[in-house]
Amino acid sequence: MVIDERLPYAPYPAPAGTAVAAPPAPIASGGGVGPWFLARANLGVLIDLLREDGRTVIGPAVVDGAVTLAEVRSVDELPAGVGDEQVPGRYRLVQRGDRRVFDFAVGPTSPKRWTFPPVVPLNVGRRDGRAVSFEPSPIDPPRLAFLGVRACELAALGIQDRVFLGGPYTDEDYHARRRNALVVAVNCTTAASTCFCTSMGTGPEARGGYDLVLTELDEGFVIRAGSPDGADLVARMPVRGADAGQMLRAAESVGKVAAMMGDPVPTAGLHDRLLAQFDSQHWSRIAERCLSCANCTMVCPTCFCSSVTQRSDLDGDVSTSERVWDFCFTAGFAKVAGGSFRSRPRDRYRQWLTHKFATWVDQFGTFGCVGCGRCIAWCPVGIDIRAELLSIAPPLGARPEPVRPKPVAATPGFYATARIVSVRPETADVTTLTIGDVDPAFLAGEFGQFAMVAVPAFPPVPISISRFGRDTIDLTIRAAGPATAAIIGLGPRDEIGVRGPLGTSWPIERAMGHDVVIVTGGIGLAPLRPLLDGIIARRDRFETVRLFYGARTPADQLYREELRAWAARGDVEVELIVDRGTPDWTGPVGVVTHLFDQATWDGEHALAFVCGPERMMEATVETLESRGLPPDRIFVTLERHMECGIGLCGHCQTGGLFVCRDGPVFALSQLGGIFGREGM
Amino acid sequence: MATVAARPRLRVGIVKMASCDGCQLTLLDLEDELLAIAERFELVEFPEASSARSAGPYDVLLVEGAVSTPDQAADILELRRKAKLLVSVGACASYGGIQALRNWSDHDAIRAAVYAHPEYVESLNAATPVSEHVKVDAELHGCPISPDQLREVLVSVAVGRRPQIREEAVCLECKRRGTVCVMVAEGIPCLGPVTQSGCGALCPSFRRGCFGCFGPREQANATSLARTLAADGREDPDVARLFAGFTGWSGPFRAVVAAYGGPPGVIPYAVPESAEGGRDGRG
Repeated sequence: MVIDERLPYAPYPAPAGTAVAAPPAPIASGGGVGPWFLARANLGVLIDLLREDGRTVIGPAVVDGAVTLAEVRSVDELPAGVGDEQVPGRYRLVQRGDRRVFDFAVGPTSPKRWTFPPVVPLNVGRRDGRAVSFEPSPIDPPRLAFLGVRACELAALGIQDRVFLGGPYTDEDYHARRRNALVVAVNCTTAASTCFCTSMGTGPEARGGYDLVLTELDEGFVIRAGSPDGADLVARMPVRGADAGQMLRAAESVGKVAAMMGDPVPTAGLHDRLLAQFDSQHWSRIAERCLSCANCTMVCPTCFCSSVTQRSDLDGDVSTSERVWDFCFTAGFAKVAGGSFRSRPRDRYRQWLTHKFATWVDQFGTFGCVGCGRCIAWCPVGIDIRAELLSIAPPLGARPEPVRPKPVAATPGFYATARIVSVRPETADVTTLTIGDVDPAFLAGEFGQFAMVAVPAFPPVPISISRFGRDTIDLTIRAAGPATAAIIGLGPRDEIGVRGPLGTSWPIERAMGHDVVIVTGGIGLAPLRPLLDGIIARRDRFETVRLFYGARTPADQLYREELRAWAARGDVEVELIVDRGTPDWTGPVGVVTHLFDQATWDGEHALAFVCGPERMMEATVETLESRGLPPDRIFVTLERHMECGIGLCGHCQTGGLFVCRDGPVFALSQLGGIFGREGM
Repeated sequence: MATVAARPRLRVGIVKMASCDGCQLTLLDLEDELLAIAERFELVEFPEASSARSAGPYDVLLVEGAVSTPDQAADILELRRKAKLLVSVGACASYGGIQALRNWSDHDAIRAAVYAHPEYVESLNAATPVSEHVKVDAELHGCPISPDQLREVLVSVAVGRRPQIREEAVCLECKRRGTVCVMVAEGIPCLGPVTQSGCGALCPSFRRGCFGCFGPREQANATSLARTLAADGREDPDVARLFAGFTGWSGPFRAVVAAYGGPPGVIPYAVPESAEGGRDGRG
C-alpha cells in the first residue's frame, strides 16, 4: 500500500444523533450569510452564550507556565497578549503585550483530555458468596464547548472518532462526551518551530468538524459557521458582515503561517518507507536517548491507548474498575504471563513511530499524526520525530545517512582470516568464492558493500560482496591481475584475509513501493546480486522489477542459472544482450541501452541501480534521464584504485569524495560534474 | 463482608532498621480503613504504635530502613527465617536511602569528623538495601511509601492475588492529573521520567522537580536524562547531586552519580576506588 497523497481528514463521521456536522458551507443566519465580524470587545458574548446554554467552556488559559486548556468562565481568563516559544524539549511563555487572545501555538493539553479523560470509572464488581455482579458506571458527561480548537486538533478529533466510533465496536463513554461537545475552532495565525501540520495536511486552516471557526485580527474576529448549531449561535451574537479587507487580512495571516512551516515531513511513500525499516539499527540509536517515559503519547491528541485497573476492598469482594491512560511505552503494556513482547525501549519506540506513520494508515485510513508537534516540545530529552523520520525513512531525493555495521579489522594493517568453502568458475576468467568462518559483521553487511581481500605477498584488492548467505559470503572475482589471479587460484579450505564490509550500499529501502530498474554489464552484476536477492526476498514490497544485463559474449554472462531462475519467476523482467553473438545465441546483440531505449515504461516512479564500466554507465544514465528519472533516483558505482578502503590513503579521491568511504554506491546527484568526466 | 470471620487473621509485623519511621507511620494514614485492617490483620509488632514485640513467626513482615549496623545485618537474617513473606518498605529498605550517601565516602573519616569517640559508634561502612542481605519477596518504594500501595500489598496477600502496582514513570501520573511539565515549561530538573510512579506526582504538582524517592523505574534511561540536564548547562556536580538522593545507591542512579564525579561532599578513601561506582561495602 502506497500513501502517495496527503490523506484527507474527513470530519466527524456523525453517528446518528450527533450535534457535530459535516464540512462547512456558508450558512444563512439571521440577517445574512457569513463570514461575519465580531468586535474584540464582544468576544465575551460568545462565552456567555455558551455558558447560558448550559455548557462548560473549555478554552485556553495560562496555568503553570503554559497555555493549556481549562474551564473558562469569562473572557478575562483568556491568555491576552501571551505567546510561546517551543523547540524540542522546551516550552516557554512569551509576554507580547498586545490584546490578542489566540496568538499562541498549541500547549500540552488538547481536547482529548475531555473526550478521552485520563481516568474514567468503568464498573463496580461484587462477589456475594458464589454470585458475582458487575454494575457499569453511569455515563453522564457534562455538556462541553471547546473554545479555540486548532485545525490539527480538529483533525485529531476526527481521528479519534474513527478509532472509538468507526466500528464495529464503539466506545460509549467517548460517544457521549463527543456528542455533547460544541466546537469553536480558531485558525492559526502563528506557529511554533515544532509545528508541522502542513506536512500532515491538517492545517493551519480549519477545514471541517467545527460549529464555528474564528480567525483573529487585531480589532476582532472573522467568524464562519460550520453547523446549524454554530449558525444559531451567530444569530444571537452582535456581529456584522465581515468586509473584504478583513477577510483578506484573515486569509493572509493564515497563509503566512503555512509558509512559515514549510514541509518538514515529506509524507509521500512514508508508509512503505517506514515499514521497510523494522530492522534498522536506527531504533537502537533512538533508544539511547528515549526515556520511554510516555510523555509523547500523553500529549499526543490522537493516542488512544488505555488500561483497566481495579481497586478492591480489603476482602476482595467489591472492586472498582477504572480505565486509565496507558501507552505503548510502559512496561506492562505488552506484558503477558511469560514477559513483555516489547521489553526493550527500542521496541516501544518502533511500535509507536511505525503506528503513527504507517500501521495506523492500515487500520484507520489516515496517519495517526496531525503535525501538532506536542511530542517534540514535551519530550524531556527533545527527540524530534521529524528528524527521526528523515533519518530512518528518508524520502526520495534525500541522501540517507549511511548506517553501517562496524567493519571487521577496520585498520589497514589488520586482516581477519576466513576460509574458502567452495570455488565456482563463472566464466573463463571469473570465479566465485564462497567464504565461511567470517565475522558476523560481514553477514550483517549491506548490499553493495565490499571487502578488502588479501593473501600474503600480494597487494590487497577491493572485491564486492556478491551474496550474503546464512553464514557465508560470496566474492565474485575476475582475474584482472596477479593478486586476483592468486586469490581465485586458491581452493576449498584455503584461508584468505578479509577486512570489511566497507563502503556504501544500494539504498534498497528507498526503492520500496517503487519500480526498480537494474542496468549492468559484465562483472558489474556481482555487487547487484545481493540487491536482487533482497528484492526477491521481499518481492511484494516493490512494484515492477527489471534487470537489463549486457555481456561481451554469452559465455561471459555471470550466474547463468540464476538469470534463468529469475526470469522464470515471472515477476522479474530479465533482458539480456551481448556484444558478440554465437551461433546458439538467439537474443539481441548490441549495447545494453538498446534493451530499453525503445521501451514503453517510464521512469516516473522508478529507482535505477547501475553498475558496469564507466562508459557503459554514462550511456545508461543518459537514456534513463531521458525516460524521466532524476539524478537523485539513479544510483551508480564508481571504481577507483583502493588500498585502505576506509578513506585514509587518498588513492580513490575523486572530487570531494573518497570512493571507498563515500561510495562506491552514489546517487548520480551526488557526483555532479565528476561522473563521466575524463581524468578524474 | 460475611466472610471476614471465616478467614484467619494474618500475622503482620513491622520492624525497622536504620530509618526515620515515616514509612511505618504511613499505615496510620489509612485512617478510614484502620479498624477494618485491624479486623483482618493481627499487627503483632508495630513499634510506632505499640511497645509490644513479637518473636514471630510472621505471615507478612514489613521491613523498614537500611541495614546499617552489624546488629541489623545479623537481625535481618534471623527475621527472614521467621517471615513467610518479607516486604522491604520504603527507599531506605529498598535502595539504602539517604544514609547510603555515606557509601561513597571513607566511613572512618566521617565517624572521626562527627563523633568525639568514634570507637563507640558501631556501624557498617555502607548502608545497604535489605535485598543485599536476604531474599525480598516484594519491595515498596518511596520516601515515604504510598499508603495506597501498602494497602494494595496487604489486600493482595489477604485475597491471594498479585498486587496491582503499575510499572511506569512519574510522568504518567503528572499528565493524568494535568500538571504542566516542570522540566519542559520551566527548566526545573526533574527525575520523573526515570522514576517509578506511585506518589501521585506530588512534587511536580507543587512545581518542584521529582527527586526520585520512588527509585528508578524499569528500563530507566538515567544516562540520557543526565546527558540532557548536563547539555542544558548544568555543572557535573549538580547533575550528580540530583541523582544522589534518596535512591542514589540504586544501580541506574548510582551509575550516573559515578559518571558525573560522585556526590558532592564526599570524603574519599585514602586508596582510590575504581570509577565504577564505589563498592558494596558490607562489614
